[in-house]
Amino acid sequence: MKMRLARLTLFALIVAGTTALTGCWDIKDINHRALPIVMGVKQTGQSYKVLLLVPDTRDTETSAKIISESGNTINEILDKINKNMENKVDLLHLKVIVFERSVAEKGLGQSIESFMRSRDIPNKTFCAISVGMLEPLFEKLSTASKIGGMEVYDFFEKNAGWSPEVVQTRIWEVFRSMDSYTRDVVIPTIRPGRTTTIESTGAAVIKNGKMVGTIDSEKALLYNLFKGAGTQGKIEVMHHATVKIEADRLTNSSKLHEGQATLSSLLHLKVTVLETVGDPSESEIKREIDDQLSARFQTMLRDAQSKEADFLGLGQLFRDKLSRDDLQAWRSKYYPFMKIHFKVHVIIQDEGLLKSKS
Amino acid sequence: MDKSRQVIVMCLITHMGLIFFLYPADIIASLSVGQWSAVLFGFICHVSMVAVYTKGLSYCAPRNVIDLFQSAGNAFAFLALLPLAIYFVMMIIITVRAYAEIVTVIFLGNTPLWTIMLLFLAVSTLISSWGVESLFRTAMLVALLFFPFLILVIVLSFQNADWHYLLPLMDRKAASFSYVFHRPYLQSMFAFVGGFLFLGFIPSHVPYQRRKIVWFSFVLLPFFLISVYVPLLTFGENTASKFPFPFIMAVDTVDVSWLMFDRVTMFFMISLLCFVILFLALVKWEMLLLLRRALPAAKAPAVSVLLAVFVFIVCLLVPNWSAVEQMLWWNTYLRLYAAFVIPLVTFALGFSRRRKEAIES
Repeated sequence: MKMRLARLTLFALIVAGTTALTGCWDIKDINHRALPIVMGVKQTGQSYKVLLLVPDTRDTETSAKIISESGNTINEILDKINKNMENKVDLLHLKVIVFERSVAEKGLGQSIESFMRSRDIPNKTFCAISVGMLEPLFEKLSTASKIGGMEVYDFFEKNAGWSPEVVQTRIWEVFRSMDSYTRDVVIPTIRPGRTTTIESTGAAVIKNGKMVGTIDSEKALLYNLFKGAGTQGKIEVMHHATVKIEADRLTNSSKLHEGQATLSSLLHLKVTVLETVGDPSESEIKREIDDQLSARFQTMLRDAQSKEADFLGLGQLFRDKLSRDDLQAWRSKYYPFMKIHFKVHVIIQDEGLLKSKS
Repeated sequence: MDKSRQVIVMCLITHMGLIFFLYPADIIASLSVGQWSAVLFGFICHVSMVAVYTKGLSYCAPRNVIDLFQSAGNAFAFLALLPLAIYFVMMIIITVRAYAEIVTVIFLGNTPLWTIMLLFLAVSTLISSWGVESLFRTAMLVALLFFPFLILVIVLSFQNADWHYLLPLMDRKAASFSYVFHRPYLQSMFAFVGGFLFLGFIPSHVPYQRRKIVWFSFVLLPFFLISVYVPLLTFGENTASKFPFPFIMAVDTVDVSWLMFDRVTMFFMISLLCFVILFLALVKWEMLLLLRRALPAAKAPAVSVLLAVFVFIVCLLVPNWSAVEQMLWWNTYLRLYAAFVIPLVTFALGFSRRRKEAIES
C-alpha cells in the first residue's frame, strides 16, 4: 500500500514537472516578435547606423517597414531598437546583411566578427554590398515589396531568382577569408533597380576583410565557375553566335618550380547554340567562346594579382607543394608572379531546331 | 543470452556523445598541421587499453573489477579504486556543467543553467537507479531513434568541405609527437576515457564477447576523424581554431533547402544530448556500485539521490566556462590513471589469478 502511494506521488510529480518543462523559458509568442529579413549596416565616422527591414503583416496585405538607429557598436544599436519596439527583435531569420560600400572599404572585420559571435544571427546569412547609400535601397525594398521584403532573399536564393552571374557569399565565408592565407572572397554588390527591385552590379573583392576592388557581372560568372557554383543556363553572347551553357567542369593542375607557381586550367563547357549571326561554322563558334572567356579570365586574374587578392582561392591548389610557413607568404611571394594557362574546351551539344554549317 | 550487441551500442553511443563538442577544439589547438596523427595516436591508445582491460576481465571471468581488486586485499582495493571514484564524480560534475553551458550557448539562450542541469541529473539518476539492464535497453532504444538523424547530419556536414584544406599532411611537430604532453592534447583524452570503463562493472548475468567489443571500437575511428576534419575542411585551420565548438559551427553552415528545418544543428544537438544523458546515467551507475561496496549500509535509491544533489550543488558553484575548463584540466591526472593504470592493473591481477588457478588445478 505504502509502495503504491509512493509511486502515485512520483507519477503525479512527474506529470506536474512536464508542464513546467515544455522546452521553453521566458517564451515570447511569435506575434510578439519582429523578424527582420534584411539588415543594413552603414558607418559615419566612428558610429554605425543599422537599418532593419521588418515584414509587417496585416489582415489583407503584407508590407515591410524600415527601422533604423545609430550607435557605436551594432549590438548597442540592436539593443536600442529593442528598447523602443513594441515587439522583440529576433534575428534568427535574418536572410541578408547589406553593407554600405564605405563600411566595406574601411573593413568589415569588426561587424563580421560580431555577427559570428552572436548567438542569434545564423552564420549562413547572405552578405551583400550596396554600391550607393543604403537608405534609397531600403526605401525601394519596402515600397516595392509585396511579400514583406523577401525579394532580397529570393534574389540570392538558388531555387528562386538566382542567376549564375550573382555571387552568393555567406557570413561564415567572409569570416573564413579574414584569417586565411590562401583564400579571399568576393561579396555581391547591389543597388536599387530602375524597373526591378534590385540590380546586380557584379561583386566587390574583399581581401582580409577590406574591399580592394570590384569585378563586373561577367567576371562574377567566372568566379562562380571556379567556386563550383555552376553556370548552367547562363547565356553567352559573342559576335557570331549566342550560346547557352548547359554544363561545365573545371580541371586544374598546379606546378611549383623554383618558386614559380604555374597553374593550368582546362574548362570543359557543354553549350547549345541559340542564335547565330551570319553563318559561322562549329569550330568558329568554339574558338570564339575560348577567346572570349580566356581573355576575360586573364584580365580578371591580372587585376587580382596586382592587388594580391586571391579570391579564386588558387592558393588552395598549391597547398600540397608549400609548407605552412610558405603558405603564409603565398599572397605576396608566389601569387603575384603566378603563371596561368587557361583554356576552354567546348562541346556543342546541339544546335537547336535548325541545322547549321558544319 | 549473449548481450554483446547491447554492450557494443552502449560503448559506441557514450563515446559519440563526448566526441563532437570539446574534442575537435582540443585537437585543433594542439596541432596546426597533421591533426590525423593526433587523432590516430589517441585512438590507438584507446583501443589497446580496451583490449588490455577486456583481456584482464576475461581472465577472471565471472567477477567484475571491484571483486578482482578486492581479491588482492581490501586496503589495496580501496586505495586503487578511490581515485577512480573521485574521477567518476568529477566526470559527472564536469559533464553536467559543461553540457548545460553548451546547450545555453548553442540553442537555449534564455534558459537558466540550473534547469538544464536539473533535467540532466534527474533523467540520468532515474535511468541509473533502474539498474544496468534497463540502462542497456534504453541505449538500444535511443540509438535506434537518433542514429539515423546523426548519420544524416554527419553526411550533410560535408556540404561545404574544401578538400584542399587537408594539405599539408605533415610537419615536424606532428611527426615528432611533441604535442602529446601539452595541455590541449591531454585534455582531449576526455573523449576516450570513461566510455569504456563500464565494461568492468557489468555483472556476470549480462554476458558479452570481449573480442567483439574491441573490433567494434574501430567503428568509432571515422567519427573521431570526422569531428576534427569537418571543421578543418570547412573553415581551414586558421579560422577553425577560433571556435570553442568547431564541429557545431561547421554543421551550422549547412544549408539544405529541401529540409523544412532551417538549422540541422538542432537534430544533431538533441541526439547527442540524449547520448550524453545516457553516459551520465552509466557513470552514475558505476559510481553507485563502488559506493555500495565501500558502504554496504547505504541503500541504493537514497545514495543515488544524495549523489545527484551533491553534484547539482557543486555544479551550481561553478561560476563560468573557464572554471569548467580548469576542472577538466585538474581531472587530467585522474583521467590518465583511469585510462592506463586501471586497465593495466586489471590485466596484471587477472593474469596472476589465472596462473594461480592453473597451478592449483
